[in-house]
Amino acid sequence: MHPLLLANHLIMLAGGIDGNKRPLDGSEIWGVTLVGLGVVIVALAILVILILLFGKIFDQINKNQKEKEAAAAAKKKPKQAPVKKVAAPVQEKPAQKPSTAPTVQTVSAPVSDEDEVIAVISAVVAVMSEQDGKNYRIKSVAKSQRSNGFSGRSAWAMDGRRQNVNPF
Amino acid sequence: MLQILQDILSGLFETSGLAGLAAEPLKLLMMCISFLFMYLAIVKGFEPLLLLPISFGMFLSNLPAVLPEDMIFHAAYWNEPQSVEWLWKVLHDGGLLDKLYLGVKLQIYPCLIFLGIGTMTDFGPLIANPKSFLLGAAAQGGIFFTFLAAGYMGMSAAECGSIAIIGGADGPTSIYVSSKLLDGADSSLNTGTIALAAYTYMALVPVIQPPIMRLMTTEKERKIKMPQLRTPSKTEKIVFPVVVTLIVALLVPSAASLVGMLMFGNILKESGVAGRLVDTAQNALMNIVTIFLGVSVGATCTASNVANLAFVKVLILGVIAFSLGTACGLGLAKIMNWLSGGKVNPLIGSAGVSAVPMAARISQQEGAKADPTNFLLMHAMGPNVAGVIGSAVAAGVLLSVVNY
Repeated sequence: MHPLLLANHLIMLAGGIDGNKRPLDGSEIWGVTLVGLGVVIVALAILVILILLFGKIFDQINKNQKEKEAAAAAKKKPKQAPVKKVAAPVQEKPAQKPSTAPTVQTVSAPVSDEDEVIAVISAVVAVMSEQDGKNYRIKSVAKSQRSNGFSGRSAWAMDGRRQNVNPF
Repeated sequence: MLQILQDILSGLFETSGLAGLAAEPLKLLMMCISFLFMYLAIVKGFEPLLLLPISFGMFLSNLPAVLPEDMIFHAAYWNEPQSVEWLWKVLHDGGLLDKLYLGVKLQIYPCLIFLGIGTMTDFGPLIANPKSFLLGAAAQGGIFFTFLAAGYMGMSAAECGSIAIIGGADGPTSIYVSSKLLDGADSSLNTGTIALAAYTYMALVPVIQPPIMRLMTTEKERKIKMPQLRTPSKTEKIVFPVVVTLIVALLVPSAASLVGMLMFGNILKESGVAGRLVDTAQNALMNIVTIFLGVSVGATCTASNVANLAFVKVLILGVIAFSLGTACGLGLAKIMNWLSGGKVNPLIGSAGVSAVPMAARISQQEGAKADPTNFLLMHAMGPNVAGVIGSAVAAGVLLSVVNY
């Protein structure tokens, strides 16, 4: 197709093609295809630029806000000194030394969680042992270094997510 | 006495459905096709919320009747030019489905559906990764390349545009465009057949897309893991619908109705101050419009409209449009992957067609097949919602270029 003919038809497209026209010229067909695709790409490309721009602006605003909040928090910090009275619960456990009490308190929660996890694992192993008729022994329970994608996600969360994202 | 009885019985038979069936045996075939669609919706679960109303509407309009006043739907009304007298005739003499079909003919239902979709859509993944817009644009290649194919098959401009829009994989947009372009056009096509083809292919996304995705990507590409997206702020989410509506309306005013309603629904949701309206738009209103739209579009699938060569052409070109859209999205995603040094999983490109959220789920599914620890859903949702905007813009272009 001659480029000038196509250009001429592109200009003619501004007035539109008669919906009932049949058959269409090759240049009209190509004109609609190229103009249509071009307009869609240009329109969405403009949106890409604008949304990227807005993203940058809002990121900067958020960053400034966080910095202000951090600065304000830093100023207030000396006034928060009395918070260190956390050691007060120590009175509930007079047998322990006051200095170590807070440490024991913070560590005790995770330890309790781990105990529960180990109890669950032991129960599962016990059931397996009963079913197989073999004796199993748990030697250690340690956190594994999972590869990218598993990070911080439990098997239950993984399965739930898989169920949600499967089409059928 | 016997003669009177015989006359009465004969009169009853002549006005009964049995006589209507004898006069138009193709109605039986159409009823069987409607049963097939009901089976697909109920047993196979293919888009049941749409396919079931469509198939039952199809069944209702093909029920045999001899007298015009007994008909639930009059296909002949919808080939006449619109006027005040015509509107009065539809309201006065039309059946129930004729009156419901006015919502399609006047382009009310597609816009209301877009309002509901807006209240249910999270544009967060698109705002977090705006480059997804380009994938949504590329997937619209299916629309325009199908226009090309239909044009060379000798179809009229209105027919080319109506068939091509199926490639957008967006039911309401297909109805919106075809009801405008085919209104009063010299064509054997109608909005019902276009809508039926569009919704059929949307239901078949899990069948059509995966082979193309596997064909166009390597195992290594399908395993690419994409980094987690940032979380956009509430302000960004509120500004987004306003910006998109403004830009689209400035460039393609014909798309303003669809995009405007989509974004109106979205700002209702993101503003967080209109909970009751959001609840109504995404539940009650959406369900009511879906019922009316489905049953009235299904009603247009009469034997005269469907049992012809034109519908076969629609089906063939429809699947070509859909496949080309998928391929164009994948193609651009592969280019983006190459340009980014292997950071973009090309599977998200196929989600650029606007079958939300099915196309994104297929990307996720194919990615998880290659690597079960790969989660592409949120990355694919960006191009998927961009596809909704892209197909509305493409619709606007077609309506601007083709006079109706």
